[in-house]
Amino acid sequence: MSSPEPIPPPNDRRSSRASSAGMDTADGILPVGGPPNDPSPLQIRASNSLNSKNRRSTIAKQPPDLHLLEYVSQPDSNLVCLICHSPFDRPVQLFCGHFFCRECLDHAWCAQQEGRKTCPTCRSRVDPEKDVRPVPKIIETMLDELVVKCPNAKSGCGWVEQRVNVNDHVMLYCEYTLVECAQHDCRLHISQKEFHKGCLHYTVSCEDCHTSMMKKDLEDHQRTACANRSTNCLHCDASLLRLDLKTHIKDACGKVITPCQGTIVGCTFTAERAQTNLHEKSCPMATMAPHFRDQQARIERNEARLEPLTRKVGILEDGLSSITNMLYPANDSASTFPVTNPWIPTSPTPSPSNLVPTPTSASRPPRSHPYPKTHRSPFTNPSHPFDSQVHHLLTLHESLRDEVNRIANALTDLEGRTNMMVMNESQRTKDDMLHTNAAINGMRHQLHWLISATLQQRNSTRTAANAASGSTSGARQGGSAARQGPSAGFHAPLRRLSDSTRQDTKL
Amino acid sequence: MAALPKRIIKETERLSKEPVPGISAVPHDDNLRYFDVTIDGPAQSPYEGTLLPPFGGVFKLELFLPDDYPMTPPKVRFLTKIYHPNIDRLGRICLDVLKSNWSPALQIRTILLSIQALLGAPNPDDPLANDVAQQWKEDQNQAIATAKEWTEKFAKA
Ligand SMILES: [Zn+2]
Ligand SMILES: [Zn+2]
Ligand SMILES: [Zn+2]
Ligand SMILES: [Zn+2]
Ligand SMILES: [Zn+2]
Ligand SMILES: [Zn+2]
Ligand SMILES: [Zn+2]
Repeated sequence: MSSPEPIPPPNDRRSSRASSAGMDTADGILPVGGPPNDPSPLQIRASNSLNSKNRRSTIAKQPPDLHLLEYVSQPDSNLVCLICHSPFDRPVQLFCGHFFCRECLDHAWCAQQEGRKTCPTCRSRVDPEKDVRPVPKIIETMLDELVVKCPNAKSGCGWVEQRVNVNDHVMLYCEYTLVECAQHDCRLHISQKEFHKGCLHYTVSCEDCHTSMMKKDLEDHQRTACANRSTNCLHCDASLLRLDLKTHIKDACGKVITPCQGTIVGCTFTAERAQTNLHEKSCPMATMAPHFRDQQARIERNEARLEPLTRKVGILEDGLSSITNMLYPANDSASTFPVTNPWIPTSPTPSPSNLVPTPTSASRPPRSHPYPKTHRSPFTNPSHPFDSQVHHLLTLHESLRDEVNRIANALTDLEGRTNMMVMNESQRTKDDMLHTNAAINGMRHQLHWLISATLQQRNSTRTAANAASGSTSGARQGGSAARQGPSAGFHAPLRRLSDSTRQDTKL
Repeated sequence: MAALPKRIIKETERLSKEPVPGISAVPHDDNLRYFDVTIDGPAQSPYEGTLLPPFGGVFKLELFLPDDYPMTPPKVRFLTKIYHPNIDRLGRICLDVLKSNWSPALQIRTILLSIQALLGAPNPDDPLANDVAQQWKEDQNQAIATAKEWTEKFAKA
């Protein structure tokens, strides 16, 4: 914040109060702006600044801080205070010959331990009563003659003059010095030149571009920034909208100095645009220029496209080399490791393509061996790719995975076969059971037939006995004969029956 | 944040425009009062780097300018481990100009030069790291060898 503290203009209605307190009061307490319990923005700002203590009371009359000034040229190093590193502001001289700003010295002593005041440069003890003297006149003159810019330069003041006048300029003449707004309840600031216009702190809209801003900024906006206001071209005086000014100067203004289009091919002709246009009609280089520009654009496009590609290639190369390093570290001792290479039986001179085993190497011949064969590599050259433990492990891992796959397949196969066998077996058992059932049925029929035949015989025997009224022994003989009868007398029907059942089973 | 005093801005500008050989101080982007500092160990001291790679002998420090700088001294601390009788295990430096002998006429560059000089001239009679100072007094050759070893180990570029 290089803007100075606002100064009330001479016609400020508060000036009577200020003058009653005395213009040069260094430490009189002046209530400035607003009721005492309600610090003005000025006071808040002042209390945030570096040397707030000195300033808070006399804020409205404080001259510009010389430490914050911008010097037009680098000041002589002998005029620079060693504490603030700026040209001296109201310097004093210590008895030891060292110079400091009065304010800087007070600050330094303030921070020092109680009662101990020394020269910041040479550390000799200083009695503030006796040892602090004014500086020689010539120093003051040299300081006064340093050329500075107005502290309001950023707001638009172009004042550049000797430092001795900056105080008067800011306090009395500079139109850009901020003062408090004339309206009583408005605590905002306004530049001194607009103070008499009353409070301009209300929002308006620019009638040309419809941007809203504070009234106090409107004039400035319309004069220097509004895009829809007309302005004059600095070169040809043509009147046009500010909006179009840039393109006018760049492409159309006849008075702007432009080089011949052929410059990219080597034409050195440069003149006002109107003349350049005439020249270009006859300049062979200008006619070639569009073609060259096309080519240039194409080259640039290609280069832009090439750049990410180069980067990508770099990344890929890095990745590749790190993979290579990981797989085949250049380690001589690695050659002593036994190296497993399951691919070697099929390819005794492996090409780089099968150095890295892949899980989908279907061309590998089937092996009955459950584990990969372990070879000592026939390549004893230490730089050979197989001479690496990692590679060894990788191939081992790969072949183990294949083994597991094969075993899984064999298991599935076996399961299927077992299922088949069980099914066949059960079918056969079922058939047998059918046969047995049929045989049992046949026998049951035979038995049935035998029983009925026996019953028939017994009945006929009993009728015969009853009819002959024979003795009991005769009946017992007949019974035994009848009992023998079926086995002998009915032999043929039995045979027939069993034949039919046998035929049945055979079907 | 309060505006940075003009003096700090000027010092920072000068440090980058006219750097001190063997010393660098770069302010943080987000806090212009906090500086990353490196100091090269002075020649012919146990804190010197080697002529050949990996060189080394570069010590990192942090420097902070308090609010009332330059009325109070900057706070400086070694970040690199260093075996030195006037620098303790936390990197705090026992140097009079950083404490009672501070003067607002001193500045960042003079302070860093004093620290570099302290590396070239250890002062075991005004110790901060008591055990190091003790070893330094008892067997200076052994202490210097240890300092060299630590430099090689920790003060990498
Ligand atoms: Zn000063
Ligand atoms: Zn002195
Ligand atoms: Zn001015
Ligand atoms: Zn107002
Ligand atoms: Zn407008
Ligand atoms: Zn024009
Ligand atoms: Zn031309």
